[in-house]
This record gives sequence, structure tokens and C-alpha cells, in this order.
Amino acid sequence: MRRWLDLLKGFGNVFVKELKELVRDPKILLGMIVIPLIMFPVLGALMGFSMESAKEQAEKASFLVLDNDQGNWSKVLINSFALYVRVDVVNDTQPQQVIDQNLLAKHNASQFLEIPPGFSANMTAYVNSNKTTKAEVNFYGVFSGTGIFEGIGSSMADNLVYQFNRGIAPDAVLSSKSSIIKGAIVTGVDPQTISSLMMSQAIAMPITIMILLSYSMQVAATSVAMEKEEKTLETLLTLPVDRFSILMGKLSGSILVAGVGALTYMIGFNFYMGSFYSAIPTGSLDLVALGLVPSVFGYALLAVSLFVTLLSALALAVIMSAFAEDVRGAQSLVGYVYLIVYIPSIVLMFADINMLPLPVRVLIYAIPFSHPIIASKAVIMGDYLTPTLGIIYVTTFTLVVMYAASRLFATEKILTAKLKFKRFGRRGKTQGELE
Amino acid sequence: MRSQLQPLIELVDVTKDFGNIHALDHLSLTVSSGEIFGLIGPNGAGKTTALRIISTLVLPTSGTVSVFGLDVVQQAAEVRKIIAYLPEEAGVYRNLSGAEYLEFMANFSAGNKEETRAVVNEAAEICGLGDRLKSKAKTYSKGMKRRLLVARALMTKPKLAVLDEPASGLDVLYAYHVREIIKRYVKDHGVTVILSSHNMLEVEHLCDRVALLNRGKIVADGKPQELKERFDCANLEEVFAKVVGFA
Repeated sequence: MRRWLDLLKGFGNVFVKELKELVRDPKILLGMIVIPLIMFPVLGALMGFSMESAKEQAEKASFLVLDNDQGNWSKVLINSFALYVRVDVVNDTQPQQVIDQNLLAKHNASQFLEIPPGFSANMTAYVNSNKTTKAEVNFYGVFSGTGIFEGIGSSMADNLVYQFNRGIAPDAVLSSKSSIIKGAIVTGVDPQTISSLMMSQAIAMPITIMILLSYSMQVAATSVAMEKEEKTLETLLTLPVDRFSILMGKLSGSILVAGVGALTYMIGFNFYMGSFYSAIPTGSLDLVALGLVPSVFGYALLAVSLFVTLLSALALAVIMSAFAEDVRGAQSLVGYVYLIVYIPSIVLMFADINMLPLPVRVLIYAIPFSHPIIASKAVIMGDYLTPTLGIIYVTTFTLVVMYAASRLFATEKILTAKLKFKRFGRRGKTQGELE
Repeated sequence: MRSQLQPLIELVDVTKDFGNIHALDHLSLTVSSGEIFGLIGPNGAGKTTALRIISTLVLPTSGTVSVFGLDVVQQAAEVRKIIAYLPEEAGVYRNLSGAEYLEFMANFSAGNKEETRAVVNEAAEICGLGDRLKSKAKTYSKGMKRRLLVARALMTKPKLAVLDEPASGLDVLYAYHVREIIKRYVKDHGVTVILSSHNMLEVEHLCDRVALLNRGKIVADGKPQELKERFDCANLEEVFAKVVGFA
């Protein structure tokens, strides 16, 4: 019994000491309690704001119908659609003309449906008990990116036709689906199928970039903090070597380690995602044939975007870690930056940046860590201007951060700088610093 | 004999403030070439701050510091080529072996592989770690690490060795060994040494001249024997206690 009491006493003593140490550490308090309390509400608000805005846009958007039949049944069908969505009708227009004349933008629509000539005749034949004659409509959806909700338009068309069929017969009207990819009609390819096929990329890319950035920032912050903790930094800084070389050596080492780490993550994650998406029926779709695989130039742009972003993240981590006394402190400090790494990754996983409200869009563009994700979506669609502008912006940001990091390394601040938490921390210097 | 040596280190009216705290308060001193100069004082006296300024790690708030005529603020990169600094609480890279650590350090000053090898061999002799140099540094005792660090500081035969508590953490025998090495390097290679220590006996045994620091100021300086005679004390410990008012 006494042994158990001693055990309990020892446990209690260590537990209380540990709690005091952890709770009194402002970095841990902020990193583990305050930041998550801020991050998730901010993320929630951003997502809510984006969804609300997308909903508003959807309500305002029209469903364009090309009435090339202009018969009685086509009018019935259009009236049926009008019960659920705002319908804009144009007559005697071929699908290719919609693209050529930019009719989708003019009608504030992102998809259209063609009622081909003969529709009413086929419907009449069907209704007059010739069940073998089917009336058909052709749905065209624009594939614009790799957002998770890309295939919603296709589902909506299915739903509208289904609602019409309910009043007639289950298979009275059939809909064939085609996609508009980079301004060209790809007949017989359902946008939803492409969307499903691209979904792994829509999720995998932001997650991989999120992991790569956070992992490499941890490595970089730890490498500098370790020098401080192990008391090797002072010696290093008195050696006959340019401090910029030290900084670059550290950053390069971190990039290499982080790159290998990211590669193993990507391989593992691909297996993980593959196990899910192998079950999705995609028919014989070939993304290369559809032009939905980045070109060599696109890959090069993506690599450059990722590299400069990585460099900016590492330089930022080095600066942050300069304000920490040890590895634990550095990790806590770098944790604050995750807020601006995670938010764009998660938002862009679900939404197309162009569909976001302007303030959110500006915020996402201002965060340098958003740009590889934006670039990964843009290069698939053959948009090279967006990644190029992103690279210029992130490079400028990186140069500023690198300059700040090199300045920090060149001065005594790398040894003496510390974040002051006036409410929690001790003021002034410790005895050891003055000795 | 030492009096004819040229001044190598010169601190003129140096102050260093950390916020509201004055670590150094108008400190002036000179150290001659080939001299072993000791800074002694209690915790917080400013010894480490003075050594860090000389080693180009921190900047003085005011005043000037020169090493071999080179200004430590304006010509820091040049100063780093001729000095070696051993911090009091220095560490070694845990996952490098002792030999790898020495090679890494030697690469910064050596011109080629042969030179690096010669420098590492020199260090191996100084530290006396033998085959243990092949083991990772994380397996070393505190004393072994200190021997490795002292060897690192002296192996390149710097013009100036700045040693903060060089024998800290060493047992009596190795502390003696390190003191003998320092003396030998000064004699054989013309290395000048400025060191700090809490150990008055060590300072008395090793240093040509000492300065007693208290609250960032020099309260007494001179040759150990002179100081003992001036204050009528048996050893430097007593001198120090008398000067700062403990005795």
C-alpha cells in the first residue's frame, strides 16, 4: 500500500511540475490553445462566406437552353426547368456557337442544354405508345478546374430531366453529356466523370503542399534551434565563413531533407488516394487525350512555384526560430505560421479561387503559400499567366524574407533576439546572458 | 620580457547595454601579442560579454575594439580569420563523430585536403581522444566534449584564442593537461590567449596578466604576483574578495 502511495505521490509531483512548465510557456499556450481557437473559426468563417457567396452566385446564374426544336414538347420541357432554375432560352444556335459567341458569359451561365431538332416529334411518338422512340437532350458542362464540387452542374441537369420524366415516364427523355474543356467540345464525356477522375488531384495537391511546407518549416526551424540548444551556433558564427553561406547551407540542407520527406509522403498518399479512386467508374477516359495533364512547361512552372514557395517558407522558419531559445520553442513559434499554410490549402481544396468573393480572393493571393496550389490547378487548364505572376510575387516575397534572414544572421540578433511576451515572460536579461 | 610585445587587443571605453542593463561599463584594456590574459570576476561581471565582443559575436554599444589593428565591427570577417573562440557552454554536433566534427571545422580554414588532415591530426593529438574520435559525439562525456572543443580552438594555431572557461567541466588531470597545452601553444606557435575563468588558481598558474571585472568594470589589473603584493594577499581569490568588498 505504501509503495502505491509513494508511486502516486511521485506521479502527482511530476505531473504538477509538468503542467506548470507547459502552461507557463507562452509559446505553447499560444500555439496549442489560442491559435487553434483562432484558426478553426477563421477557417469556418472563410468557408461559410465562400459557400454563401457561391450559393448566391448559383441563384443568380442562369441555365442556358438552346431550343433547336421549338416544338410543343420543348416548351413543356423548358417550363418544367423554369420551376427549379432561372432559364435563358436561345433559338437556332449550335453548341459550338455558344463557345464562339461567348454566350455562356453573356447569359451568366456555366452550362447549357441543347434541345435538338425532332425532340417534340420523338416525344409525341413516345407518348403515343411507341416506347422505343426516345427523345434526347444534350447537356454541355464547362470543366474549369479541379475543385471538389466541379461536377455539380452535371448532377443538376440530371435532376431537372428526372423531375420532367417523373410527370411522363421514367425514361421519356434521355440526356447525353459532353464537356467543354479549354474551349473545345469533347462529345460523350460527362464533366462529372472528369471531375471524379481529377478529384484525387484536387485533394492530393493541396494536402501534399501543406505537408511539404509544414514539414520543411519544422526541419529548418529545428536545424537553427538545434544549433542554439546544443550550443554550437556561437562557434559557427565566429568561423571564417560568410554568414550568408551558413544560412544558404542550412536552407539547402533543409530543402533536401524536406524534399525527400515530401516525396515519401506523396508516394504514400498516392497509394492511399488510389485505393479510394480505383473504385470510381471512369470508363476509358484518358486525361492526356483530353488535355488535362500539364505540359512539360506547365510542370516546370509548377516546380519553380513550389521551389520559391518552399524557399520563402524555410527562410520564414529560420527567422522565426531565431527568436526561440530551443527546439521546442522553435517548433511552437513555427506553428503560428501553419495558420497561413493550412487556410489556403483547405479553402482551395474545396473551391475554385475565381468563384470566391473578392476579399477572400485577395487574401488567398496575398498568402505566398497559396500559389503552388493555384499554379497546380492553372497549369492543368493551360493557364500559364497565373502561375507566372504567382512566381514573380512569391519570389519578391522570398527575396524580402531572405534579406531579412541574412540580416538577422549577420547581426548579434541571431543570438540575442527573443520574442517578448510581456504578460507572461520575464522582462530583461537573465544572468547567463550578461556573464 | 612580455613588456616589449606589441598590443594585439585593444578595448577602448567599451560599453554594452542589454535594454536597461549595463553589461560593460566603459571598459578599457589591452592585451599584448603572445600574452595569456585572464579576465576574472563573479557571475554577471561581463566577462563573457567582453569575450563575445572581441570574437565579433555581439556589437559594443559604444567604444572601439580592435584585434591586430582590425576593428571588430567594421572588419569582422577579417577578424574571424585570425581568431578562434571557445564559448563557455559550447557543444558539438551530436550525430557527427569527433573526427568528423574536427574535419568540418578544419575545412573552414584549411586550403586543401592535406592541410585539413594535418590540422585534424594536430587536434587529435591535443585532445588525446584516440579511437574515440571515431564515435559519435553524443556518446562523449562532458569532459571529452570539452577536450574536443579546446582542440578545435587551438588546432588552427590562431593568432588569437579567445577561451571562455577553457577547463570548465574537466577533471583535475585534464584541466592540468589543457593548461599545459595552452602554455605550449603560446610558446611554440606564438598564439595569444585571452581567457575567462572562475578558477583563480588556474588563472594564477596560467596567466601573464589578469583583469578583475565587477559589474562591467575593471576593478584591478596587473600580473598575478603584483596584485597579490599590492593587496597584501596570499592568492588571487583573496585579492578578488578584497577588491569587491567581501573581505
